[in-house]
Amino acid sequence: MLEIKDLKTNFNTYDGVVKALDGVNLKIKDGEIFGLVGETGSGKSVTCYSVLRLLPKTGEIVGGSIVLNGEDITNASEKRLREIRGGEVGIIFQDPLSALNPVMTVNEQIGEILVLHQDKEIKELASEKGIPTSKSKKWKASPGIEFTIIALCISFVSLFVMLGQYSFGLPFLFVIIMMFLRDYFQRNNLASALDLMVIYALSRVKLPNPAQIANSYPHELSGGMQQRVMIAMALAGKAKMLIADEPTTALDVTIQAQILQLIKDIQKEENMSVLLITHDLGVVAETCERVAVMYKGKIVEENTVNNIFKNPQHPYTKALLDAIPKGGKERLKVPDVGEYGSI
Amino acid sequence: MIKEHILQIKNLRKHFPVKNVWGTDIALVKALDGVNLNIEVGKTFGIVGESGCGKTTLMRTLLRLVEPTSGSVELSEEITGNEFTSNKLEELTSEELRRFRRQIGVVFQDPMGALNPRMIIKDIVSEPLIIHGKTDNMHVRVLESLNNVGLGEEHLYRYPHEFSGGQRQRIVIARALALEPKILVLDEPTSALDVSVQAQILNLLNDLQVKFNLTYVFISHDLSVIEYMCDRLVVMYLGKVVEEADTEELFSNPQHPYTKALLSATPNFGKSTKRIMILGDVPSPITYLDESKARLATEITEQERLEIDAIKDKDIDYIVRSSLNKVHPLIEVSEKHYARVKS
Repeated sequence: MLEIKDLKTNFNTYDGVVKALDGVNLKIKDGEIFGLVGETGSGKSVTCYSVLRLLPKTGEIVGGSIVLNGEDITNASEKRLREIRGGEVGIIFQDPLSALNPVMTVNEQIGEILVLHQDKEIKELASEKGIPTSKSKKWKASPGIEFTIIALCISFVSLFVMLGQYSFGLPFLFVIIMMFLRDYFQRNNLASALDLMVIYALSRVKLPNPAQIANSYPHELSGGMQQRVMIAMALAGKAKMLIADEPTTALDVTIQAQILQLIKDIQKEENMSVLLITHDLGVVAETCERVAVMYKGKIVEENTVNNIFKNPQHPYTKALLDAIPKGGKERLKVPDVGEYGSI
Repeated sequence: MIKEHILQIKNLRKHFPVKNVWGTDIALVKALDGVNLNIEVGKTFGIVGESGCGKTTLMRTLLRLVEPTSGSVELSEEITGNEFTSNKLEELTSEELRRFRRQIGVVFQDPMGALNPRMIIKDIVSEPLIIHGKTDNMHVRVLESLNNVGLGEEHLYRYPHEFSGGQRQRIVIARALALEPKILVLDEPTSALDVSVQAQILNLLNDLQVKFNLTYVFISHDLSVIEYMCDRLVVMYLGKVVEEADTEELFSNPQHPYTKALLSATPNFGKSTKRIMILGDVPSPITYLDESKARLATEITEQERLEIDAIKDKDIDYIVRSSLNKVHPLIEVSEKHYARVKS
């Protein structure tokens, strides 16, 4: 599914070049959950951003190749990359509240992805059922004009209030009220093809009452629900591959178990490939089939989950496993970072 | 008495009022609802629970950073030294409260947030000494407490951003120890750190406990850390203690369904235990004053039903959140093991 060969990413800083990735080789097969573990600064997230080329301006890929589904996307155009991001590859970020737009409803946010990646399906559904593709734009001007109308109306109302001629202000007040009422009813009217697809996407991640959730803003949802919405967004574009960058770090253990179970279920249903990036070896042990351990921009060990926990080969993996308290009160073995060089 | 209780918390309640737009109370958030704890000298006392269960409020009422609604915290002679007018925390005068706070150090979760970025380490560690008037031999005292946590003279004139996460947490511990407290309250001291650094900090805390005969109050949601550190622990759920026992007893013989699920949610590498999932979302902690709304629903909710459907044909045990809303009285299951279960 995804093959990364000898990937090298550098960051140019004032202090010199930081080799964030120093020859990463990964192969993720179709329909498997692949774990990528490592400590802070080991290059896990940079790997994921390099694949989708979401690196900041200071970062650049200096070598290697990325092959997605047999297609070399190392030098793909920006247009093609936009199709891949959210289309073929869905991505879930660590903190759902900062990844979701706080001033857009869930409906609008998932709708955005559907319009970008599922345009054909929306039109098909609309013609099949004889419903409009998206919300009707009737009675609605562009945001700039809408804002101007409201501002003018408010200033007229206040002008007439100041002049003492209250009755002249009433029509303008009426316009303002009608605009708000129109917005309210349009928001609650989920009859278009796009809305139906959003509701379907939300019901896939086992959210109760998807129509109600579609109309709510991110802050109205609990942490677990927000992360479910993020997963729904990542899946909305019919992704064949899911990259989950620390999907459960911000959540409690019990909610974490629910979300991991959901990712596992969906992966099995859709036969997707999942790249799970985490620093928590426990999450990997629960979820993944194969796992790679990263250290200082290199993959130091790659194996099946059972083998890596029972029989770690690389000294760093051993040290990492020893550092976890596993019952018993004996002194923890601290990995000597100096041994492997500082990051 | 050989095993003295350094702190005795008796029926502590903290209710935050929820007001409507007119400013009248309509509901209460019961952050602490009748908590009884006895903390022994020289031991580590653990508090576990998910976010929003009242762990942090308990810590803040222990320090009297928030005033409890009712209940009391009784201090032992070791803290009061027979000089205080009362052994009850809520009856101390402001001068006595200052003296009490000398006896109790705090380490917060995020070290970068707890350290002033514009102060050098020397000033950070000497600040509590200045506030409490121990200005004689200050340089020596500061150096001593930095040495205790494994830092040295060369770190005195640096700023917090020049240190790694683990070193910053060491500085926070050094500052907490500067006043030679009897109790150290640790609020998730390692949750922002990598496993290898976490191991260093845990070892350090164990060493310090032996060296100074400290009593720890250890708050965490990571059960493997709790199991490693604590002698006795309580599990909290929605402001109530649902189970209290010695660590070994609690881990080998959990009684309350929530504890069982929590223990099964922690990954144990290789060992196969049956997973118990908690389905549903965390219920709102708000208790309405209106009788008809006050009771938490104990029927299965829509979300729980969806999640049960999703996992019913898999081999997973589950409990639903709504079943946890029934509150049983705390009974003694076996010696020194209390749980809220049906008697």
